Amino acid sequence: MSATAPIIKIDGISKSFGSFKVLDGLSMQVMPREKLALIGPSGSGKTTILRILMTLERIDGGHIQVDGEQLYHMERNGQLLPAYERHLAKMRQKIGMVFQLFNLFPHKSVIDNVTLAPMLTKGMPRAAAEKRAMDLLEMVGMADKAKAMPAQLSGGQKQRVAIARALALQPKIMLFDEVTSALDPELVEEVLNVLWRLCAETDMTMLLVTHEMGFAHDFADRVLFFDRGKIVEEGKPDEIFRHPKQERTQGFLKKIIAAGHRV
Amino acid sequence: MTQWSGYLGLILQGALVTIELTLMGSVLALIMAFLAGMGRLSRFFALRALATAYIEFFRGTSIFVQLFFAYFVLPLAGVELTPLQAGVLALGLNVGAYAAEVVRGAVQSIGREQHEACIALNLGRWQGMRHVILPQAFLVMLPTFGNNAIELLKATAVVSLISLADLTFQAQVVRAQTGNTMVPFTTILIIYFILALLISWGVRSLERRMARGLDGVRV
Repeated sequence: MSATAPIIKIDGISKSFGSFKVLDGLSMQVMPREKLALIGPSGSGKTTILRILMTLERIDGGHIQVDGEQLYHMERNGQLLPAYERHLAKMRQKIGMVFQLFNLFPHKSVIDNVTLAPMLTKGMPRAAAEKRAMDLLEMVGMADKAKAMPAQLSGGQKQRVAIARALALQPKIMLFDEVTSALDPELVEEVLNVLWRLCAETDMTMLLVTHEMGFAHDFADRVLFFDRGKIVEEGKPDEIFRHPKQERTQGFLKKIIAAGHRV
Repeated sequence: MTQWSGYLGLILQGALVTIELTLMGSVLALIMAFLAGMGRLSRFFALRALATAYIEFFRGTSIFVQLFFAYFVLPLAGVELTPLQAGVLALGLNVGAYAAEVVRGAVQSIGREQHEACIALNLGRWQGMRHVILPQAFLVMLPTFGNNAIELLKATAVVSLISLADLTFQAQVVRAQTGNTMVPFTTILIIYFILALLISWGVRSLERRMARGLDGVRV
């Protein structure tokens, strides 16, 4: 066992939407630099975890520590109090997110999409922000489209820009929420290739919610299988995909393979 | 034979007043629309209540009465306004109340995913509004703003009732002096119509310019 502390520590969190309990006392940990794949049927709570980490949803109970600090709480005189917006803003600097539907800003060009947040949140001068943006666009293979508008791009290109945009803030943790689910099959590869590059060239912690089982198998250090708000099974990709122990995991993988996904 | 050219000059002077009123009223209306429209979306109850009260009051009462109130009643409270000031105030506040709902509706029409992208990029509430939400919402507002501006142009005719020499007022002057009704009123009808066309055309070309690139076609 390594002696380093986990970068994400989730402790007994619960979350309901109306009367539907998505997460019920969930605990999990993520180590620095770890590549984690979260798989499972829709509605199993895996996307909700990413959204909670990005502060897009609030938790109803429990605690989350990110990089040694409470995410939704502040420590004041030994007491844990609900976090102010300013604390959340500080914590968000550590985390970036890429969405299933890209969520690019349609009224801004590719490069302006990437430079906006560094200029506004870090006060970076335009020239420096643009230089970094071009480096990032180069890395995702979109440098030649820097002046294009999002509407002119294919889904795969949009997603690569969205990845560059999230990277521009240099987060320690990146959350990928089904980033290839909305893409035509022939465009999935170009986005996955970018993820491979990130994996090779950075030491970010990456959490990946995905239905690309083949990719999850090759990419992840650890796979978590979710069902009904609980972690049913977790382990190395080979254990989960080749020798799943739980019946529900086996059932899920069987269905996925029947649907034509490679494992 | 009546000296129509002299009377035409009179009517054109009126047109200038009408244009001036329309422009100044529109500026005030635009300011009020954003203040009240954003106020209605505020997190703070007091701001929401204030904005709602303003909108409901100015939509719910007659612009005639508002104008008369500004010109005849405010002086009793020690606020003396020139006819032009009273006209701009009444028109701007009245049309601003309608346009405030346009602002609110347009801002709310921008999808949740844009707000979420702002949070994920750690933009502050106001930064996201200013750089992401409002620029997109403005495009949604524009066509209805065009309607509002035309409404305002037409409503300027009421200021003739407080002796401001706008188009309608001058037409009445010409009618009184010549005894001819058809010529002056046909003339101002055409001028109002041309002014409204100019507004339509201006708003449409602004819309086209701002929408450039959003639909994937780069012009």
